[in-house]
Amino acid sequence: MIIQVRNLSKTYEYYKKSPGLWASVKGLFHREKLFKKAVKEISFEIGEGELVGFLGPNGAGKTTTLKMLSGILYPTSGEATVLGYMPWKRQSEYQKQFALVMGQKNQLWWDLPAMESFILNKEIYEVSDADFKENLDELVDLLDIKDILDVQVRKLSLGQRMKCELVAALLHKPKVLFLDEPTIGLDVVAQKNIRDFIKQYNQKNKTTIILTSHYMEDVKELCKRVIIIEEGEIGYDGDLASLIEKYAPYKVLKITFEGEGIKKEEIQKFGEVHQFTPHGITLRVPREKAKDTARDILSSDLPVDDILIDEVDISDVVRKIFSNGK
Amino acid sequence: MASRAKKIRKRRHLENQMKKYFRILSNEIQRQFSYRASIASYALGNIGELLALAIIWTIVYKNIDSVGGYGANEMVSYIVFAWFFSFLTTTYAFERLVARDIHRGTLTNMLVKPQSYIRYLMTVATGRVVIAFLIVLVQGLVVYLFFRDRLIFEVDFLTFILLVLMLIATYFINLFLSILIGFIAFWTVEINGTYYSLKVFSKFMSGTFFPISLLPVFFVKISYFLPFVYTIYIPVQLYLGKISFVEGLKGFAIEILWLVGLYVIIKVVWRAGLKRYESVGI
Repeated sequence: MIIQVRNLSKTYEYYKKSPGLWASVKGLFHREKLFKKAVKEISFEIGEGELVGFLGPNGAGKTTTLKMLSGILYPTSGEATVLGYMPWKRQSEYQKQFALVMGQKNQLWWDLPAMESFILNKEIYEVSDADFKENLDELVDLLDIKDILDVQVRKLSLGQRMKCELVAALLHKPKVLFLDEPTIGLDVVAQKNIRDFIKQYNQKNKTTIILTSHYMEDVKELCKRVIIIEEGEIGYDGDLASLIEKYAPYKVLKITFEGEGIKKEEIQKFGEVHQFTPHGITLRVPREKAKDTARDILSSDLPVDDILIDEVDISDVVRKIFSNGK
Repeated sequence: MASRAKKIRKRRHLENQMKKYFRILSNEIQRQFSYRASIASYALGNIGELLALAIIWTIVYKNIDSVGGYGANEMVSYIVFAWFFSFLTTTYAFERLVARDIHRGTLTNMLVKPQSYIRYLMTVATGRVVIAFLIVLVQGLVVYLFFRDRLIFEVDFLTFILLVLMLIATYFINLFLSILIGFIAFWTVEINGTYYSLKVFSKFMSGTFFPISLLPVFFVKISYFLPFVYTIYIPVQLYLGKISFVEGLKGFAIEILWLVGLYVIIKVVWRAGLKRYESVGI
C-alpha cells in the first residue's frame, strides 16, 4: 500500500465572538475557546497507481486530510504513512517523491515566465539535466503549452496557469500526487483539458493520485474509486459506479413552459415531481428512462419551452448517503 | 574507499544546495527588473530624506559652531554617510513579504518542498536588494558630488575593509529583524503597526538621523545594549575617525554576536510559529 491512514483526526481550536462592539471589548479579556473536529478518526488505504476521488461539500475535511498527508498539518491523533514516511516529519526523501497542487494557490513566480519556476524546481528537487529535459518536453507536449512558457505568469489565463502549475509539480516525477480542486474556477473547456491530462498522466506513469473536487464531472471522468467525506467522517469508500447506481438511480429533468404554463396533474404521469410552478418544474425519472421521458414530454401537447437532463447534484448524493447511514 | 564515496556524496550535496539558492537569487533579481519603476520611486524618497536632514542642520549651524563636539562639516559628513550606510543596508520592508507568505498560505507551497524556508528567505531578500543597492551607490555618488566641499573623505585601506564587513553584518542584522517581525504574522492578522514602530525606533536608536551621542546619557547607555547602534552609528564613527580601529573591531564583533543571537531567536520563533501553522492551518 502506498498510502495508509489509520484513525486520523484533526481538531482545530478557535474562538467565539458574539456580535457587537461590547462583545469585542470583552473579548480582549476573555475569549471562549471552541473546538472544531475537522477530521474524525478516518481510516483508508490506497494502492499504487490508484486515482481516488475525495468528495464532499466545503468544510468537510478534504483539504485538511490532504494537508496532513502532505505534512503541512500536524494531526491531533492517529497515524498515516505515505510511501512509508510519516508526512509531518517533512523528510526531504519524502518531499522529493510527492507533489501537492492546490487550485486556489500558486507556486509559480508571479512576475516571471513559468520556465524560471520550472528551472528553480529542477534545482530544488535536484532533477538531473537529462531527466528535466525529458520530463519537461513530455509535459509541455501533453498540455500543449509550448508557446506560453516564456510569458510572465501573471499574464496567463487561469487555465494556462493551472497547466503550468501541473508541470511545475510533476517535473520531479512524483510517485504520489495530491490535487486539491485543480479545476476550480476554470471554464468547461479548460476543465476538460486538465481532466484529460490527469487521466493520461495517471495511466502512463502509474502515479498514485488523490483528487478532491466538488465537480461531479471531474470525479466521474477520472476516478474509479471515491471516498466521500462529510463533517470529517468517511461516508462511503468504494466504486464510483455502484455509488451512483445505489444512491442516484435517477436523473433530473428540468423543464420550462411557455404561455399559460401547465397544471400539476398534466406532468405527474411522467415521473416524480420535485418542484412545481406552472412555468417550471423539476422531475425525477429513473436513470435509464431519462431520454425516453424527455422525448415523450416533447412530443406531448404541453407547451415546452426548454428541457434539460441533469445529474443529481453531487451534494444531494452525499447528503443522501449520510442520512441513510444514520 | 567508503569515506571517499561519502566525501563525494557530501560535495555533490553541497553543490546541489548551492545551485538551489543560486537559482532563487537569480530569479529574484530578474523579478526586480520587472519592477524598475517601483525601485526608482524608492530612490526619490531616499534623497528626500537626506535633503530634509541637510537643511535642518544647515540652519542649526548658522548660529553655532559645534554641536556635541561635531563641527558643521563633521555633522554634514555624519548625516550623509549615515544616510548612505542606512540605505545600503535596508531590507525595503521585507517583513511584509514574509507576513504575506504566511497569511496567503504561500508558505504551504514552500513547506512541501525539500528546501529550507529560512534560507529561502535570506536568498530572496538578498536578490531583492541587489538592484536597489546599485541605485543607492549611484545616488551616493551624486550626493557626494553635491556635498563634496563639506565632506570628510579620508579613510585607510584596512578601515575601509572593516567598514565593508560591518555594513554586510548590518544588512544581515536588519534582515534578521525583518524576518522576525514578519514571523509575527503567525499569530496576528496584521504586522504593519509593529513594523512601523520598530522602523522608527531602530532608525532613531541606530543614529541614522543624528549622532546618538547627542541624546541624554541614559539613552546612550541603553543604546549600547541594543543592536541598532552598531549598525549605523559605530560604522559612521569609525569612518569619521572618531573611534579607533580597535574600537571599530570591537563593534564588529558585537554585531557578529547579535547576528548569532538573532539567528537563534529566528529558529526558535520559526519553530513555534510552524507549530501554530501546523495546528491551525491558517
